[in-house]
Amino acid sequence: MAAKKYLDIYDSYDRFHNGKRVREDSWDYVIVPTNAMAMREKYDINFSDDIIPDDDDLCDRLFQAGVEMLCTTGFYNTDIGRALQVSEEEVYEGIRRSPKNIKLGSGKEEVSCIPRRGNSSTPPIIEGGPTGAPVSEDIFVPMMQSYAQEATVDVLVSGVLNTIKKHPSITNTPWEIRATLAEIGFVREAANMAGRPGLGI
Amino acid sequence: MSTAGRLCSDLTKFALKPHDAHEVSQLNELKIDMSGLNMIAGWVANGDVIMMEQMPIFGGYSGGKEETAICDVATMIASFVLFNCDIHLDGPIHIRWGTTTTRETLQIAAHACAALDKNTNLLLGNQYYTLAGPCTEMCLLETAAQSMTDTASGRELISGVASSKGVTQDRTTGMEARMMGEVAGATAGMDVAEVNEVLKKLVGLYERDFSHAPAGKRFQECYDVNTILPTDDYINIYSRAVRTMGRCGLDMNIY
Repeated sequence: MAAKKYLDIYDSYDRFHNGKRVREDSWDYVIVPTNAMAMREKYDINFSDDIIPDDDDLCDRLFQAGVEMLCTTGFYNTDIGRALQVSEEEVYEGIRRSPKNIKLGSGKEEVSCIPRRGNSSTPPIIEGGPTGAPVSEDIFVPMMQSYAQEATVDVLVSGVLNTIKKHPSITNTPWEIRATLAEIGFVREAANMAGRPGLGI
Repeated sequence: MSTAGRLCSDLTKFALKPHDAHEVSQLNELKIDMSGLNMIAGWVANGDVIMMEQMPIFGGYSGGKEETAICDVATMIASFVLFNCDIHLDGPIHIRWGTTTTRETLQIAAHACAALDKNTNLLLGNQYYTLAGPCTEMCLLETAAQSMTDTASGRELISGVASSKGVTQDRTTGMEARMMGEVAGATAGMDVAEVNEVLKKLVGLYERDFSHAPAGKRFQECYDVNTILPTDDYINIYSRAVRTMGRCGLDMNIY
């Protein structure tokens, strides 16, 4: 059966707001582990010694187990203290509507991210950077340039400035805003220094 | 980061553009907070590319390898179906070691990705947290193992490398990303059974060193910070790692 509508972020908020009240410790220690174990048993999910599965049937069962895990468990909002529910039809509708091509970066550095299908001969997009690791202010630009200048790097991912002008960038304060904007400015500067101003971040 | 911090990243002329990845995190496991929802609402309204991140914990709330993979599949689907993201950034992490490069977490990532890759067109990424630090062969081999795993299981994007578990100041460099990218290029198109054979040898080389992984060096010791060129020491270690990869069965054919 088709779903009436693709869920958007506002629908999801409303569903959290009207969802079932659940204690967070019950969610963490009872609901999630119990349901995951039940799905493992129902779909007979057992890994062999191989790191990458070469068993299409196992992949199909794992996919079904994941869909049913989401539909039977739902999703929890820690601030509201409630869990939303989603139907199988809505899950498949959402999957159908999801983007199949996104573009990152601009100009000569624009790259398209499209489905690869198994081990395609087209390699994945390489996002180079410290991936959120802490980086000192004085070496932020040189470090980011070390990624931007790599030929295999297609887009950049930033590190984290713990300080800005030597002041701690404390979350949810004006210093966080300043550090965030400085961080992005530094990444752009590094891309420029590497001669690749259009690199996506 | 706060909602305000993330949303302000679109301000000023240097700011993130719609074609940059706007990153938001779920919480472990199958959870989110209002901060995440509010960020997404702002970015949806602005037409931004949204990348949703979550790192399922092996040995945490969900339990063992198979249960963690089931939660990982559910989590990835939720990013698109409930939260309107454009690409999901995964990263199954080991509760004991805090890394994505253990045998178990590679297996979880590969199975979850392959399950979705076979049944959907969702865009899936993975991120890298090694135990060893930069300028060590172990760090490069950990990176190589994950890059082979992600490439051969069908990932569309790989992101890294947060060397030294991404928690130590200045212990990340471009050389680890070079390894991630060059291994992906060498692996793409290989037969999966052949990749598994290489991984069997490769993971066995570094996993025995987890309890005494080398911290490596800081960026300032790995590169000349004026010319932004890697040191001879790091180039030699990189070349050694490439030779090790060759002995395991991956011809990187880079020079």
